[in-house]
Amino acid sequence: MTPRLRKGHLAGLAGLLLLMPLPAGAQDGPALMEENCGGCHAADANGALSRISGQRKTPEGWLMTIVRMRLFHGLEITPEVQSQLVHYLADTQGLAPSEAASHRYILEREPAVVEEVDAPLGEMCSRCHSAARFELQRRTAEEWDLHIDFHVGQFQTLEYQALGRDREWLKLAREEVVPLLAERYPLETEDWTAWLAAQKPEATGSWVFTTTLPDKGEAYGSLEVTGDAQPLTVSGTLVTALGEELPVSGKLNVYTGYEWRANLDIGGDKYRQILAISEDGGSLSGRQFLHAEDSLGGAFNAVKAGGEPAIAGVVPSTLPAGSNATVQVVGTGLENVALSGALEATGGTANAYGAAIDVTPVAATDGAVSVASDGVSADNVLAVYSHIDSLKVEPAYTVARVGGGGGSAGKVPARFDAVGYWNGPDGQAGTEDDIRIGVVPAKWSVEAFNEEAEALKDVEHAGVMDTELGIFTPGVAGPNPERPFSTNNAGNLKVLATSGDVTGEGQLIITVQRWNDPPIR
Amino acid sequence: MRHLIPLNQKADRVVAAVETDKMDEVRAMQTVVAGCASTLDPGWEVDPFGGVAALCQPMEADLYGCSDPCWWPAQVPDTMNSYKDWNDGADNAGKDWRSLGTVFPSDSET
Repeated sequence: MTPRLRKGHLAGLAGLLLLMPLPAGAQDGPALMEENCGGCHAADANGALSRISGQRKTPEGWLMTIVRMRLFHGLEITPEVQSQLVHYLADTQGLAPSEAASHRYILEREPAVVEEVDAPLGEMCSRCHSAARFELQRRTAEEWDLHIDFHVGQFQTLEYQALGRDREWLKLAREEVVPLLAERYPLETEDWTAWLAAQKPEATGSWVFTTTLPDKGEAYGSLEVTGDAQPLTVSGTLVTALGEELPVSGKLNVYTGYEWRANLDIGGDKYRQILAISEDGGSLSGRQFLHAEDSLGGAFNAVKAGGEPAIAGVVPSTLPAGSNATVQVVGTGLENVALSGALEATGGTANAYGAAIDVTPVAATDGAVSVASDGVSADNVLAVYSHIDSLKVEPAYTVARVGGGGGSAGKVPARFDAVGYWNGPDGQAGTEDDIRIGVVPAKWSVEAFNEEAEALKDVEHAGVMDTELGIFTPGVAGPNPERPFSTNNAGNLKVLATSGDVTGEGQLIITVQRWNDPPIR
Repeated sequence: MRHLIPLNQKADRVVAAVETDKMDEVRAMQTVVAGCASTLDPGWEVDPFGGVAALCQPMEADLYGCSDPCWWPAQVPDTMNSYKDWNDGADNAGKDWRSLGTVFPSDSET
């Protein structure tokens, strides 16, 4: 069937037309759906549109669906209407916070997660894409069945690929996978029904946060969110652990009552935030990363300022013993801050982000420090150390990608942290009772991971490690005539972090670029 | 060897290696292209051994052998059905790879 094209036109495809405003007087959701989707999706007696009404997804899931309708089925739609449809669908057919909680890593574009997927979903689904891609969808049994049909029709050789051709693929898909998906990820759930009826948290107001910037390390700050219509306006300040203050400004969309999507300028760099507001509205968490290099980012944790006393975190989170330092406790309502454990201190000076306490950890001190104030506490959020028994590289395994060189895909760098540990009671490194200190400064280097990497001179070709920051910048894309058979600048490297006399080791695969890079991989 | 004529550059390299007594090196290099065999089905990112030495490399040499039969459609746009004109005007991927675009539109973000 030739899809019936709807009115509208592609406008302004060049550049990022993000965070479209929802103009006053915009058409309501059902009318927009009928106008833009109803040409192909027939309505039943209740007005529910075929296929669409049997599914629930994240905002990114709905965006990918609409984009697929554009690319594969000729839907013509303006960016403004596309944005309005994503808002409407995510608000009315989204996921409850509890339904999205365990798979937020894929929304957050966390680069180093290794999923463990049981049979038969591993062989059937996640051999091509993340398991989170289907685990963040809810469908009727009929819709899961049609989802199989879609895959067979769209990707017609899937039954000939490994883990497809060696079994009765379609029979397995219909008789085992569809019932399993329908049972695990059904359209109707108590959690979604309850969330639809729940009072939604407020994004507007003041937040104080902690985070980590790829090149500047731990940081904290405040955000002010204002506006009556989406996108909301964000402004604020970010302060690095060294005291550098950077202005923050940008726009924020909120979907499904809690899904926070912001594009921010922080001191001249473009960042993106994929966060979730807690159901009670008191906190905000997720990942913040460079907009153009989403592998470079860090955890972002905030609490609502002016509400109940709360602690978002402590900057810095590790302190070398024997030197003076200022500890910034980030939170709200922190009138009587006290540090306890390896470091005892009270008082401090209230500021816009919580309270700052000057401390002098005595030489040879080793141990965790907890923070408390007026009935709120955060245990072991700070560590003082005079020595490190062992070092681990985090992530222990990740992937970078070649890029650039005039091609459309940019380089995908990788960033590592060196995490110090104490041996614990057994005095042995690498055992279960090791005690995590936290991220510590280290010197970084790479080596060939194995003989093949040595023979192919991966260290020479695959990219460059920043010795101070632990950021690996991969090599340029394209065939490299200097390598055997003009092999790409791919590689397999050991990542080494050294602090004093201890060294930690990780593995980095530098691989080829991807040309299909949707918001959910 | 006198009755065998190399058909392509790779075969030329094998012949040259025999003549210059570098067969050990060629054996090591076989892992570079071994992943192109359909019986192995390397992933797009890593080979069956968890590294990259046995991927089809340079990837551009066999890229359209991936995109035409829809082999890694989640990473490489399939020209069989989904993105039929993805490589129009880029007949030689080894030379024309810069003109291959990413397919998720940059105007679309939540």
